[in-house]
Amino acid sequence: MVRFENVGMRYGSGPEVLRDVNFVLEPGSFTFLTGLSGAGKTTLLKLIYLAEPPSRGLITLFEYDLAVAKRSDFPALRRRIGVVFQDFRLLDHLSVFDNVALPLKIAGSRTADFTEDVRELLGWVGLGDRLQAKPPTLSGGEQQRVAIARAVVARPDLLIADEPTGNVDPEIGTRILRLFNELNRFGTTVLIATHDRALVESTEADEMRLVEGRLVQLRKGRRPA
Amino acid sequence: MIDNHPIMPPAEGTKPLDLMIAVMALLAGLALGASLIADRVATNWQSGLSGKLTVQILPPAQGTADDGLKLETEAALKVLRATPGIARARALSMREQASLVSPWLGQDDIAAELPLPQLIDADVVPGKSVDTAELKRRLKAVVPDALLDDHAGWMERLRDVTGGVIWSAYGILLLIAVATAAAVSFATKARLDAHRDMVELLHLMGAQSAFIARIFEWQYARAAALAAAAGTLAAALFFIAIGGMDSVGIEAVPFLPPLGLSPVDFMFFPAIPLSAGLIGLVTARLSVWSAVSKIY
Ligand SMILES: Nc1ncnc2c1ncn2[C@@H]1O[C@H](COP(=O)(O)OP(=O)(O)OP(=O)(O)O)[C@@H](O)[C@H]1O
Ligand SMILES: [Mg+2]
Repeated sequence: MVRFENVGMRYGSGPEVLRDVNFVLEPGSFTFLTGLSGAGKTTLLKLIYLAEPPSRGLITLFEYDLAVAKRSDFPALRRRIGVVFQDFRLLDHLSVFDNVALPLKIAGSRTADFTEDVRELLGWVGLGDRLQAKPPTLSGGEQQRVAIARAVVARPDLLIADEPTGNVDPEIGTRILRLFNELNRFGTTVLIATHDRALVESTEADEMRLVEGRLVQLRKGRRPA
Repeated sequence: MIDNHPIMPPAEGTKPLDLMIAVMALLAGLALGASLIADRVATNWQSGLSGKLTVQILPPAQGTADDGLKLETEAALKVLRATPGIARARALSMREQASLVSPWLGQDDIAAELPLPQLIDADVVPGKSVDTAELKRRLKAVVPDALLDDHAGWMERLRDVTGGVIWSAYGILLLIAVATAAAVSFATKARLDAHRDMVELLHLMGAQSAFIARIFEWQYARAAALAAAAGTLAAALFFIAIGGMDSVGIEAVPFLPPLGLSPVDFMFFPAIPLSAGLIGLVTARLSVWSAVSKIY
């Protein structure tokens, strides 16, 4: 699904943020990406969801070698990835419902065809009564759940979540993890960046650990139940 | 069709941009009207003079001036009337000639006593030309003292002047049009800049550039067209007011023909808001493309 070979990354002429990163995400896998703040987690995720090109090395995504893939193929690749951004990136002028429906609109679906799905999903993340609210009127945790709903609504092949439980209480955190597990059971490959040791320990999923830009520890866990 | 409308952000804080476009459109409208007027005035000047010939018959230096002059005039008229392409030829009366020189010599009878040359006015059939060299030769044959003036030199200078006026007017119009286009393009970019995050987000979510551009381009095209329409309308009202002054007999500037615009002239005005809309549309699309291509 995702393969990194000797990938290095620097922003502009700054220091190398990622160095010689090698790993493979198998289809259907569930993996945590851990590491201290500033270790390069978000940077690594950005390389996967095509927000930045790597400075060197080889990235293969859905069997596409990104170094030779055509730019015109990128939008279709991006639509197969659901992303929960660390800073959510909700559109403030749209309602909760419209924010979550955005990936479906981009994919060309009609509103009438997905209204029920979106309602149901928002009910699942505990926002069933806030459909018409605007993001600025929501709490941080509520915004995070909107961001998660938006990332999963189109049933992506690959789900990338950057600190998806950073702003929610343990109960909601567990609920979100169950949502990810559910999605994973139906075939979505999941990669979650987190500081949250408890979250990582609560499952037996794979773990990749970044230390100062190097991938130093790979725990091969059992598939989560 | 996918309904993009609900995705579109509200147009906030764009009033100064609209005002800028409206003011530029007003200037463009004024320049357009001024160019049309300059064009028409210059054309009128030229057509007023072209198509006329003048023959001067100089009086003999001494002797029985009057009789000789009359006979020569008759002979010259005959030659002119027999010339193909000449519609009409007429000798000016003493009185007319006197009034022509009166600005220099005063109203007195001095004029009547001076040996003035006899002037003959001839009109060329519109659209025809006269072989002036041949006509000159034939006139000299019967009246050696005749001078033929086809106003060629004067016409040429007039054409230079009016051409200069017309080209200056269109040059100014072009400059203002370019400035207006730049204003629309600037305003559209500024509007889009306020939503850079949204463009980037949609791009990262896999939206095609055309999809992203569609969200913005019609709204921005409409905003530019409406603002430009307001300015253009103000310019058009200005020319309608000036035309009204002409019709009640107040001459805005003495010696100039009426300054109002004809209904046909006004048909050029919608081009300003239409171009503004088109430029807004194209700029929005290009800006989205360039913003998106910078992301990766
Ligand atoms: N856009 C950028 N331009 C320049 N440097 C950047 C940029 N983004 C991140 N960095 C730098 O890259 C390094 C890694 O940042 P990154 O955001 O990947 O860390 P992280 O592991 O996600 O941290 P956190 O846990 O705090 O989110 C940091 O030193 C950061 O300063
Ligand atoms: Mg981060």
